[in-house]
Amino acid sequence: MDVQFKKGVLKLCVLVLLDKQDRYGYELVQKISDQIEISEGSVYPLLRRLKKEEYFTTYLRESTEGPSRKYYKLTEKGREYLHELMQEWKVFSQGVNQLIKEGVNSD
Amino acid sequence: MTKFQFLNQLNSSLKGLSSEEREDILQDFEEHFANGSVEGKSEEQIADSLGSPNQIAKELLATYHLEKVETTATTGNIIRAVWAVIGLGFFNLIIVLGPFIGLAAVVFAGWASGIAFIVSPLLLLIDIVIYPGGFEWFELFFSMALCGAGIFITVGMYYGTKVLMAQFLRYLKYNVSLVKGGLKNDE
Repeated sequence: MDVQFKKGVLKLCVLVLLDKQDRYGYELVQKISDQIEISEGSVYPLLRRLKKEEYFTTYLRESTEGPSRKYYKLTEKGREYLHELMQEWKVFSQGVNQLIKEGVNSD
Repeated sequence: MTKFQFLNQLNSSLKGLSSEEREDILQDFEEHFANGSVEGKSEEQIADSLGSPNQIAKELLATYHLEKVETTATTGNIIRAVWAVIGLGFFNLIIVLGPFIGLAAVVFAGWASGIAFIVSPLLLLIDIVIYPGGFEWFELFFSMALCGAGIFITVGMYYGTKVLMAQFLRYLKYNVSLVKGGLKNDE
């Protein structure tokens, strides 16, 4: 799929994954790349950007299998932003779906 | 590419960032490799799915330079930020450089005409000194009117430049978040 298109949605994916629980970087990347084909490295610049915009905070936690992991935790500001993005996405995808339906039926 | 090669390339592409910031970024990728190998992946596999370290670095650099403009908006910082965003891909060359040159020209022209208007009575004075016979009252009044207009233009430009710059910054940021950088199929 179109690169620019995917990149716009990546932010929403990251935020929504952090809505219910804190996650570490590798986990976030895997969750996303399980569903969407991305170049995994591009998630990290995005994570740094969103952290600087104060959409989440980070903390380190020891892990039983390897080095300690950096966890990302959504802030209130981040949660508000997520809801905004989800609303936008809903309106957008409904619109596209409607157009697809009409397009297919008009044959 | 091995982990060592990947981190090395990333590190050398990140020149210009503070060593603290660079350390932090490398740490994130170090952790990524460690977690990947716990899952039984080879270094090559992990590096391969991460994508090009140069492209990742470009994106990080663009963000960094934009931030610097926000704290201290010197001309040098702005140009570095524009340059970094352009570096993200060929597409940006057109959609960033074009508007930037246009805006810079407008700002420059505004300031230049404002200042020229303000100093116009001075120019008239020089004219009178050189050609004492050619003095006309009309010229004096006209240059004074120009001077007044020049002051208005300059004050307007002072605020206008600030607003334009803030808007342009938002545009740059939007580009970083949207236009390609580090996603697949965009070598």
